[in-house]
Amino acid sequence: MKVLGAAWDELYSVMAQMVQGLFRHGLPLTDKIAARTALTNFFLHIHPVRVRRSWIRMSYTLCLGGLSFFLFIVLTVTGLYLMFYYVPSVEHAYQDMYDLKFVVTFGGVIRNMHRWAAHAMVITVWLHVARVFYTGAYKKPREFNWAIGTTLLLITLLLSFTGYLLPWDQLSIWAITVGTNMARYAPIAGPYTRYLMLGGKVVGANALLRFYVAHVVGLPLVAFLLMVVHFWRVRKDGFSGGL
Amino acid sequence: MATEARERIEARRRLQRAETPLAVRDDSQDEMIVSFPEFVFKEFIASVAMTVFLLIVSIWLDAPLLNRANPGMTPNPSKAPWYFLGLQELLSRFPPLMAGVAFPTFVIVLMILLPYLDRNPSRRPAERKVAIILFTLYMLIAVALVLIGTFFRGEAWTWNWGLVLGSG
Repeated sequence: MKVLGAAWDELYSVMAQMVQGLFRHGLPLTDKIAARTALTNFFLHIHPVRVRRSWIRMSYTLCLGGLSFFLFIVLTVTGLYLMFYYVPSVEHAYQDMYDLKFVVTFGGVIRNMHRWAAHAMVITVWLHVARVFYTGAYKKPREFNWAIGTTLLLITLLLSFTGYLLPWDQLSIWAITVGTNMARYAPIAGPYTRYLMLGGKVVGANALLRFYVAHVVGLPLVAFLLMVVHFWRVRKDGFSGGL
Repeated sequence: MATEARERIEARRRLQRAETPLAVRDDSQDEMIVSFPEFVFKEFIASVAMTVFLLIVSIWLDAPLLNRANPGMTPNPSKAPWYFLGLQELLSRFPPLMAGVAFPTFVIVLMILLPYLDRNPSRRPAERKVAIILFTLYMLIAVALVLIGTFFRGEAWTWNWGLVLGSG
């Protein structure tokens, strides 16, 4: 019995050491420990340790920026799942949609989530722009962050647009045909821009591959980088808070 | 050293406050709270609510999947993704150079330059009526064009009540 007790004590102290290595403080029961939690946790350091109540009032922010970011995370996770089963080629793409729907475990739900979250993100980003406008938060000293935000809005639209082609059904190919036709009207650069986007004169195999690469690598990387700068500047320029 | 740095930070803060007469009200007396866990908890609740919402919608509503892409068969009407339908609606009304290039470019440039064009230092809604009215008008027009393009445009982009009323 004595040996067992000693072993238990030993195990307990090892476990306590593991927890202490992970969290360098106790439970956040007092403000001081809570502050230290935010300060020492990598994933929480996106927040200032202390904020004024008026900065984070939900009736002011409506949580729209945060929800847009969260939808981006949802889209990244569901998108990775879809990437395991999707091949961006004219022969496979459409068939893979059917497999996702009828064969892959949770494939249908994950694809639906990816689709609806994408639509939702376009809406929340737009509403976020509207909220920032109506509260006048784009004014000095946040002029540049507003420009970054505008770029992020455009990238959100481009991300959704490039994803539209990937199922390779009648909806996607003709929506992209119509959408890229709009680019053709630009003087001089128009037809070249369209050719660059599609890798050809019509929406075909090259366009599918280009849209796929832009959708899963290029645009998300740019979006992520700009988001990091956007959030960093929210703190550096000061919260617009309270109205 | 530390106090000197602190003084410099304080001086910069004072300067920033003096340079930005924009604050609608003085928040320096507002209660300071620790962002963890209260703020983080709010974000957590919002993300859980969004996840539940997405899950319910995704279980109920299937993402569209039509027939396999067929370059030889153009559906009538061919529509762009919904957020570009306002643009497509404009294209059906104005010359392409104007609707397809000039309008969107103008809107994007205007948006980026907005903080420099809007010289009104106030953030109080009552003192920026013109800006609010103009932006609201723009939003209403944009939403109306998207709705028209989505729900009221049928074959050959002609006006069609059937898509809404269901008589088809």
